[in-house]
Amino acid sequence: MEGAQRPLELILARNFLTSVTTPAVLVDGEGTLLFYNEAAAALLGRSFEEAGQMRADEWIRAFAPVDEEGEPLELDGINLAGALKSDRPAHSEIRIRTASDGYRALEAAALPIVAAQGKASGAIIMFWTRTDNGET
Amino acid sequence: MKVKIWGARGSVPAPGPTMNRYGGNTSCVQVTFRDESQLILDAGTGIRALGLELAGAPRVAILLTHLHLDHIQGLMFFHPCFRPECEITIWGPSSPEASLEDRIARYISAPLSPVEVRELPCSVAFNDAPASEWRIGDVTVRAEAVTHRGPTLGYRITDGETTLAYIPDHEPALGSSLDDLADEWISGYDLARDVDLLIHDCQYTDAEYPAHVGWGHSALGDALKFADRVGAKRALLFHHDPLHTDEKLDAMAAEAAERWRAMGRDPETIALAREGDEIEVNAPGPAVHRAREGRSTFGTTAAPQVSTRG
Repeated sequence: MEGAQRPLELILARNFLTSVTTPAVLVDGEGTLLFYNEAAAALLGRSFEEAGQMRADEWIRAFAPVDEEGEPLELDGINLAGALKSDRPAHSEIRIRTASDGYRALEAAALPIVAAQGKASGAIIMFWTRTDNGET
Repeated sequence: MKVKIWGARGSVPAPGPTMNRYGGNTSCVQVTFRDESQLILDAGTGIRALGLELAGAPRVAILLTHLHLDHIQGLMFFHPCFRPECEITIWGPSSPEASLEDRIARYISAPLSPVEVRELPCSVAFNDAPASEWRIGDVTVRAEAVTHRGPTLGYRITDGETTLAYIPDHEPALGSSLDDLADEWISGYDLARDVDLLIHDCQYTDAEYPAHVGWGHSALGDALKFADRVGAKRALLFHHDPLHTDEKLDAMAAEAAERWRAMGRDPETIALAREGDEIEVNAPGPAVHRAREGRSTFGTTAAPQVSTRG
């Protein structure tokens, strides 16, 4: 039988994200952006319904994350990718391009989602906006 | 494939004069296949009476959806457990915390039980349900985690061309309306897609549900939407709330039929499960035998057939 349904842990993670006001995105094990919540939509400047699911290279291009020195980051260069590749939590300070007001400084924390069989099926990445003095 | 309902109640046994028609025993369903082999779905209190009918069975296979008491309470009173010549195999959800046997042993042990699992005279094997499809005889079984409290499985069982999905404890609309979700984001979707018969949670009325969000069960409206979304050919609504009397469940059945019709579906293909129902499931659709009532579970026009129990 052809599988159409996401794993339950991703379904529940998406439900969780819709219920919180912390900006957060859900990615699968390949880094594909599966969903982001309304708080993240406010941060990014466009709704998920408008953006839709994006492969890793697509959302990297769309949100153009840069490091503290302004250098562009690839997925492998964001230590958040470690949440997918090594099943470890990760924390980053990054800046991303928003649709409304240029770049936004963020702190991001990634939590791997590990299924019952011990296989990482994705990650939740939550964001906090940094203030001018570097505080979130 | 033949399905017999031995317990359709949820949460806790609910015997009493106002519960007699739908029954008070908790979840237990017997499935008999073309080759006469059988599977038992859950071991609520309904399994006690089933065990008396299986007095001579050399082997018994039980699929547990989860280990809440209303799904395992009958196990300690299941007659085959006390026959040394009987081989029992039990599948259930895995947990990183403890083995299936150890978790079930928390119930079948002191002070809750006078016997321990290791003291059962039968030969019993406990297996984690595999992550991929597996075969039991000629039957294919698939288990998937579904939205409920704690590790909980639903099952899809295929015998030849005929498929049954059993998801007795399920809250697929938790957090989001089913109307707003794409198929890929609906818990249980793959298990139940295009089945010939779906047995599904319907514990609450729509009015009751808001006070029970997150308890792991479905409102009538969500059960109907889920059954429709997955394209179930027939649906049997299950896991009745212990507070729901026969009169209340009759009203829910009438409402279900009306709403199912409004969804463009044949109202004869929706019903509330009753203890003692016997349902013959074939790929084109099941016929139901209910001798005592003299009418079909699925609608009221089918001629009554022979039944061994009412």
